Order: sequence, then C-alpha cells, then structure tokens
Amino acid sequence: MSEKELAKKWDRCLADGAIKLGTGLGLGIVFSVLFFKRHTWPISFGSGTGLGMAYANCQNDLRSFYMLHSSEKEQ
Amino acid sequence: MAAKILPVVKLATKVTIAGGALYVAYGSGLLGSSEQGSVALGKAKAAIPPAVQEWMKYFGLEAQLPTIPTVEFSPVQAWNSGVRKTISTLSEAPTNAVGYTNQGFQYMKDLTK
Repeated sequence: MSEKELAKKWDRCLADGAIKLGTGLGLGIVFSVLFFKRHTWPISFGSGTGLGMAYANCQNDLRSFYMLHSSEKEQ
Repeated sequence: MAAKILPVVKLATKVTIAGGALYVAYGSGLLGSSEQGSVALGKAKAAIPPAVQEWMKYFGLEAQLPTIPTVEFSPVQAWNSGVRKTISTLSEAPTNAVGYTNQGFQYMKDLTK
C-alpha cells in the first residue's frame, strides 16, 4: 500500500468517524426524546454505536489491502 | 373511546417519526461504508451555502451576510509542520544544551576576568 493510498484511507476513516458520530448522536437524541423520557443514555448509546461502526469500517478498509479475495483464491 | 385510542395514536406517531429518521439516515448512506460516508459529507458541504441563502431570503435578511473570507489554513499542514518542528527540536536538544552550557561557562569566565 503506497503512502498516498494510506493517507487517503485515513482521511476517509476520520470523515466517516465524524459522520457516524453525528448520525448516532442525532438518532440517539430522537429516540431519547420520543421513547425514553429525555434520559441521557440513549444519546451515549447512539454516539457509541456510531463510533463503533466507524471503527469497524476503518478496520475493514485498512485490512482490505492484505485480504485474499475469493476470485484470486479460485486460481 | 377517544381516550383509549389516543395513547395508540401517540405511540404510532412516535414510531413513525423514529422510523422516518432511521430510514433517512440509512437511505442517505450515513450508516454505510466509508466511501458512502465521504460522499454524504461532500453533498452536505455543497448543500450548505444555498440552504443558508434560502433561509436568509425567508427571513428577509438578504444583504446582511458578508462573504466569508477564504482562509488559507490547512489543519493537516499545520499538524504535520508541528510534528516536524517538535521532533527536530527534540533531536537537536542535546547539542543545543551543550552549546548553551558552554556559552554560559564562557560568560561566567568573562565576568570573573
């Protein structure tokens, strides 16, 4: 993996992290207000879930270079 | 009769709103892969100035918002240059310390002359 590719992957990871954190926060607020009587825990849960999804995406993205794809396996 | 239906209607409204929020989040690719997320971020960035313009027009504040001056600041460049400066300072620190100590000794010697 070249330096440029790696830098792009990291940029994507950070952008994705910010988006998923914001989305999780937003959805957490919506659920907290609608169903859970404005408690804080759905907001924390939503933000945490968003960050976790971003982490998993980033991990997959960074590992994808070293993974053997099924099409290559058949050869 | 109405008193019995009202809680059901309330719950149905809440579920609709929450479901709609989830659907919008999923549909715009906010919960997908990194590429979809970056695309969504780009779209959002591009959609902000026209949206601000629309809101300004709606509130009748058309000519009030001055154009934001484009600041030539890149956080990435700033961070990278900060890291380089820190590491170079740390690597030159022993040499600099020896130099300053020698200068100090010379100054003291000159004082006692």
